[in-house]
Amino acid sequence: MLSIKNLKASIEDGTQILKGINLEVKPGEVHAIMGPNGSGKSTLSKVIAGHPAYHVDGGSVELDGKNLLEMEINERANSGLFISTQYPTEIPGVNNVEFLKMALNSKRAFLGQPEMSDEDFKKLCEEKMNLLEMDERYRERGVNDGMSGGEKKRNEILQMAILDPKVSFLDETDSGLDIDALRIVANGINHIMSPEKAVILVTHYQRLLDYIKPTYVHVLRHGKIILSGGPELALKLEDQGYDWIEEAK
Amino acid sequence: MNAEFIQNLPTAEQAIARLRELGMPRRNNELWSFFPVAKIPTPEFMGTDFAAAPMTSPAATPANQESDFAALLPIANNARPMIREIVPGAAEMAMLKCNNDFGHTVLDIGKGAKVSLEILDNKVSHDIAAERFDINVGEDADVEIFFANPACDLPLRFRHFNISQAAGANVRFSSICKDTAIGRVSVECHLKGEGANFDYRSLHVLDGEASQHSRLTIYHEAPRTTSTQLARNLLSGSARVSYDGSVIVGYDCTGVNSSQLVNTILLSEDASVSVKPVLKIYHDDVECTHGNTVGELDAEQMFYLVSRGIPQKAAQEMLMRSFAQETFLPLPDSPAKKRLMSSL
Repeated sequence: MLSIKNLKASIEDGTQILKGINLEVKPGEVHAIMGPNGSGKSTLSKVIAGHPAYHVDGGSVELDGKNLLEMEINERANSGLFISTQYPTEIPGVNNVEFLKMALNSKRAFLGQPEMSDEDFKKLCEEKMNLLEMDERYRERGVNDGMSGGEKKRNEILQMAILDPKVSFLDETDSGLDIDALRIVANGINHIMSPEKAVILVTHYQRLLDYIKPTYVHVLRHGKIILSGGPELALKLEDQGYDWIEEAK
Repeated sequence: MNAEFIQNLPTAEQAIARLRELGMPRRNNELWSFFPVAKIPTPEFMGTDFAAAPMTSPAATPANQESDFAALLPIANNARPMIREIVPGAAEMAMLKCNNDFGHTVLDIGKGAKVSLEILDNKVSHDIAAERFDINVGEDADVEIFFANPACDLPLRFRHFNISQAAGANVRFSSICKDTAIGRVSVECHLKGEGANFDYRSLHVLDGEASQHSRLTIYHEAPRTTSTQLARNLLSGSARVSYDGSVIVGYDCTGVNSSQLVNTILLSEDASVSVKPVLKIYHDDVECTHGNTVGELDAEQMFYLVSRGIPQKAAQEMLMRSFAQETFLPLPDSPAKKRLMSSL
């Protein structure tokens, strides 16, 4: 499904952040990426999405055999990639629902499908908003405009639910969520997840993984995945931190 | 009818005399420093009366107070004033359309009246058009003045508004300009009565060689008067906008609050904007602010939209539309808001 091979990327001043990432994600899998601050987790998500602030120095990222790095940013999304960043951008003046509808219909156009009718879209939106226990106010607001951290994260998952991507890369989706919101968002992700899809979660804490059981846990440090394991690895990291990994080498 | 207000309007002879004294606009004249004055025709277009007219008479006339060529032009060209009184307490919606190159409208709005006034493009048969509006707003009246006309390719167009507001009068002035040529909207607003409020919002969406000049002078002549200026510009091609915004707060005008903000998005290398805020404050207890931002479409916002699958061009249009709509979102629900928002 998603295959990242020897991915290297740097920022404008030439500093290399990703120094050779390798990751294979198969349908139905949930991968958790953990690691200290500044290790390159957020950079990885942005590079895959095609953020212009990063330069790819080498490697490949393939989704179902197609090289994402050769695609335009919107084509990557329409091919089935969804990236939720750590700090979702506020866009005042662009209505949440209009934006969602435009995004969904862009994807449908890309896939050669007809535009979704207003009525069908309304139903879809309602269903997903109910899933995430979102109130009607979201419809009237600008994209992430004036929302709390938790509201923004919930709004991101609403987008994910509506766009129905193959692979979702969720960067610290649990940050800013209170206990109830964490449960709701995690339940939403579990509901969207299916044997044909995959999720990559970036997180610092076990608490999200209590709700969303990872298939694999990876440790990213200094721009490389230095250790991979099963769900038990997250528990050990929560308990002992990251230094033991370096010491063990 | 407010007799004093009507009496203070210049006559055609006075306007011509004053024009001869002022001479044609020049770039070194403060009023015209940002305007492409070379495009203004020589005085011959005003006919033989102009050449034969005397210079300003020594006696003080209403025209002597006027320093704006564009404000005098319609009167000097014998634009017959359309004088209209709106009686106190009346509620009126009106559309104004001048059937000539030069138009002059005089409105006397009574106390407590509620007026919604849309200004349509005038019928133009020559290369230059100028309209003048003298509007007297009575106590506690609520007035909205707006125009969102289709793009006009008239080579040269002037609009001048002279607004006088009594105590508690509220005026909202809103406009959208998509013209493709050269134009100038000048507004002179006198807040004469305590608590009067003037709200100005303009949006320029220009492309090609269009050049538009906004010139505002707001006189706070009474305590606790308030004014807001918000000008937003979306400029492509070689389009140019210039904004002269002056706020003058008189002596003893305590509690005045005034703000001016100009936001511009430049969508091309050759588009440009010039902004000149002027604050003249003769009293201590006032709050006056001004700000100016110039930039491109927000790169992070663009990335966000595109990363959700929206094509680059559609994302750009979404951001431009939201930037434009935000200009008028704070307006109360009214015919003006409906018309302006629907034309975006």
